[in-house]
Amino acid sequence: MLAFCKRFGVPFAAFVLALNLAGCGINTIPTEEERAKAAWSEVLNQYQRRSDLIPNLVETVKGYAAQEREIFIQVAEARAKVGEIKIDPSILTDPEAFKRFQELQAQLAGALSRLLAVSERYPDLKSSQNFLALQSQLEGTENRIAVARRDYIEAVRVYNTELKTFPGIIWANVLYRNNKPMETFTIDEPTTKPPVVIFDKK
Amino acid sequence: MLAGTLRFVRGLSLAAALLAFFAGTGGASAQAIVFPPLTGRVVDEANLLDSAAKANLDAKLAALEAKTTDQLVVVTLRSLQGRTIEEYGYQLGRYWGIGQKDKSNGALLIVAPNEHKVRIEVGYGLEGTMTDAISSVIIQTVILPRFRANDYPGGIANGVDEIIKVLSGEGGGPQPEPPPAPKPRHNTFFGLLLLAAPFIFSGPGLILLVILLHFLFVLLSRLAVWMHLASPPREGAHSWGWGGSGSGSSWSSGSSWSSSDSGGFSGGGGSFGGGGSSGSW
Repeated sequence: MLAFCKRFGVPFAAFVLALNLAGCGINTIPTEEERAKAAWSEVLNQYQRRSDLIPNLVETVKGYAAQEREIFIQVAEARAKVGEIKIDPSILTDPEAFKRFQELQAQLAGALSRLLAVSERYPDLKSSQNFLALQSQLEGTENRIAVARRDYIEAVRVYNTELKTFPGIIWANVLYRNNKPMETFTIDEPTTKPPVVIFDKK
Repeated sequence: MLAGTLRFVRGLSLAAALLAFFAGTGGASAQAIVFPPLTGRVVDEANLLDSAAKANLDAKLAALEAKTTDQLVVVTLRSLQGRTIEEYGYQLGRYWGIGQKDKSNGALLIVAPNEHKVRIEVGYGLEGTMTDAISSVIIQTVILPRFRANDYPGGIANGVDEIIKVLSGEGGGPQPEPPPAPKPRHNTFFGLLLLAAPFIFSGPGLILLVILLHFLFVLLSRLAVWMHLASPPREGAHSWGWGGSGSGSSWSSGSSWSSSDSGGFSGGGGSFGGGGSSGSW
């Protein structure tokens, strides 16, 4: 055994070293891809959570401000459009589909923001416990969406970088030719937090 | 031949250690926010509490963890460094790793008196129990009235009491599945190399050299952390891929990264997803 080591120790060590260095790259791309996909699942999860909050919110507002029909229609339409998008993994590598997804979500966020602005005109609604609870849930969900988006953007950045830089680019061209860089978020979401208005007491 | 191999291994270990050093720093995320160190369950950077208040809070928080394993930490900040408290909060929670790793049952009460913001930041595992609505109610009804009267210790104590009530009173709501927490990229290269080493170079002198490499690497990693070039792996998290020492050799795997200035308290490795509620006055 010792004799073997003495004769082949150095080349063998070099071989192990090369294997390990190579091993470093071969696993990184799929690992980073899976991490990015998991981050994407979390984003979808939070968007769904927001969508689920909406019916309750609309009903509560309707209870106090039934005449604001137009805004309810807008919210319902925006929510329906978002629900219609087919979410399959290919959306991550399709720039058009991803952009459409972002736009629809942003439209929904805009409609929600207008819905909450309605509450400013109805003091009874604004102070209703139900409404306050829903409002805090909505704010919390928007925060979670923001966090999930940031995590996703970071995971995609790492993955795309791995595909483009050495040594990942070697493995990408040899083994992972079908792996395309993933899309990332470019459209900011309007939030429903009302801007702080300072009233001058005259 | 043996002398030549020895020299080769020395060079190799140095090269390997340097590679790990740079790989480690390359993989670490640049944190623009400088978080305060986790010195205990009450981190009073803004000096709002006297020592009696701190001791009181600390006792309550320790009792909560003993009873439910939930980790609740109170932190007051001198500055939010230009971020919103929502942005700051979850990153702080992740950085400190509050909450047990498997359950993510951590929460933070964050007070930023200079920006007039307060937030209850809730970890993934507690989102079912400590809902956003409950956090919002606690902030609006027991914390903010005291803060508006300039009574920070009172507001903080009230908030902590209410949070503890919620966390101990309601045992378990639906626990959402925590997504994989972001881990520092670890280098399996060294795990594999060191695993293979005793087989390649069986000879006590060479094994000692490999152990030396291990310590050198650990030292360099700690140096990198100390110089803020790398972020320390969270407590309990699988750090730097040292796990592979199973076969035959008995050297320790995993340098344990306890937050050494914490006086006994450290985060359990839990993660945060942005749940909770904020308020301002």
